[in-house]
Amino acid sequence: MNTEELIEVQERWNIPYRHSAGRFASRFLIALRDEKKVYGVRCPRCKRVLVPPRPFCERCFVQCTEWVGVSDKGTLEGFTISYQAYVGLPTPPYASGLIKLDGADTALMHFVGGVDLSDPQKAKKAVKIGMRVEAVWKEERLGHILDIEHFRPVQK
Amino acid sequence: MAISRQAFAQKEEECPESKKLRCPIFTPCDGEAKAMSKRVAIVGIGQTKHEGSKPRQIYDEVVFEATKRALEDVGLDRGDIDTVVVSGWDVNDGRTISDMYVAPASGGYFKDSSKTAEEGIFALAYAYLRIASGLFDTALVTGHGHAESPFELISNKVFDPFFVRPLGISSITTLALQANAYVNKYGITEEQAARVVVKNRGNGVNNPYAHLRREVSQRGALNSKVVSLPLRALDCPPQSVGAVALVLASEDVIKKIAVSKNIAWVTGIGWATHTYHMDAADLTHVSALEKAAEVAYKMAGVRDPIKEIDVAEVHDITSYHELMAYEALGIAKPGQGGKVIDSGATDIGGELPVNPSGGVLCTNLHSGSGLLRAAEAALQVMGRAEKRQVPGVKRALAHGISAPAGAIAASHAVIVLEKE
Ligand SMILES: [Zn+2]
Repeated sequence: MNTEELIEVQERWNIPYRHSAGRFASRFLIALRDEKKVYGVRCPRCKRVLVPPRPFCERCFVQCTEWVGVSDKGTLEGFTISYQAYVGLPTPPYASGLIKLDGADTALMHFVGGVDLSDPQKAKKAVKIGMRVEAVWKEERLGHILDIEHFRPVQK
Repeated sequence: MAISRQAFAQKEEECPESKKLRCPIFTPCDGEAKAMSKRVAIVGIGQTKHEGSKPRQIYDEVVFEATKRALEDVGLDRGDIDTVVVSGWDVNDGRTISDMYVAPASGGYFKDSSKTAEEGIFALAYAYLRIASGLFDTALVTGHGHAESPFELISNKVFDPFFVRPLGISSITTLALQANAYVNKYGITEEQAARVVVKNRGNGVNNPYAHLRREVSQRGALNSKVVSLPLRALDCPPQSVGAVALVLASEDVIKKIAVSKNIAWVTGIGWATHTYHMDAADLTHVSALEKAAEVAYKMAGVRDPIKEIDVAEVHDITSYHELMAYEALGIAKPGQGGKVIDSGATDIGGELPVNPSGGVLCTNLHSGSGLLRAAEAALQVMGRAEKRQVPGVKRALAHGISAPAGAIAASHAVIVLEKE
């Protein structure tokens, strides 16, 4: 028998980064922490309210300066529910949604929760594009996007 | 003569005051560029066998193998190549300056060589521009796939670290969000998506280079595990190791190196990039692909793609995305992608066979799958696709996506290839 030995090297990259949030993301994240409130910016040209806020509108290529508070309730514009585990990503099942908050013109990406996701066929019926959702705030908030735990269906 | 700057100017796609939130996209060239530039053809093709791993070959040897084959295919030597354009996503490859390895393997030693940190079909686009400009006569382009790292985790790092990355979003989630929005709008069924899987996996059996060469049944596709709604395991591509290399040449050189059976003229080429923010994108149609196709069709004079194109190789990053590509490419009307697959029009023997090679669902070179589409389309035009050859191909289309983030910031390229 002709056996050939082949070497394989295992490696992990663990590279420390500092990411400065800048004044726009900072204000957004601090308002999550201190006010339980979501803020966006209004583009002076197209007038869209952009959430999360950003220093400039990519479409109009102008600086944004005007801050606008938006609701923590909104409409689910798109979603998926993930059942496959991937290295370093959340433990399934979890639902990812695009939520257009009332008063905003763009959708915020976040988790959708408060729904039993264990069975894909049942979960598919419980989560619907166009459904109304609201933020579930964490008690202990750190100035992080996950100060909102997730968005859940609005209880009627 | 260089292409005029005018041709590169961004087109204002939308009135900013418009309430219709269309995605802004840009186009690098239009019909005007054609008259001013040199004709370019693909004249040599090389690819490796694609597989799940290649433990007997170090990273760059795979690219070397494809490059050698492409040069042999056209009967040229490394010294005959004027410029080399390589491609790749470095972090996926585990080498942050991957061209340190890939450029020499592509014949780049002491040569004009550069890398695009994009899908290989963009290396082809840049090489095309270099020859069309008249500054170079021959180019070698490579794309490759590497599969020794967790792609979805790396994809997650494409996203910003404040708003999206902590949510675990990656390529597969954005593709699923898009597919779900498409399903929701048009009522595309799981059965229609499964039909794409059955078609492409069946075609892959005929392709000796394909990674997955086993047919699957409609039932098998429909019963595979849900990965990310609506995507099931078999709706998604594998991760493959392999490489593809193309030699491009100007008309002047082609006259000298008689390779008549080996020519696929690039008669149309266009590309466009989708919005960088997912938050305002209309996910239900692939606007960047629509734009890329519009540019390529205009240049090639294609008005009715179903009738005027004989075969297409599209970047079926998921089965649902093949259906969306039908619509963006004008093969189906908006929302009718499912009807087209049901009609059999894109089967082998249909009016416009799509992915006779088996497509990305059989072979997925992360950062090389689009270039592989161009290689397969060129083989079809040359009549050299062996068991997967569609009879009488005069004009073929290749579509590639550069999108480590999945549906977001996706750049699409469309290339039309023709016989003389
Ligand atoms: Zn604006």
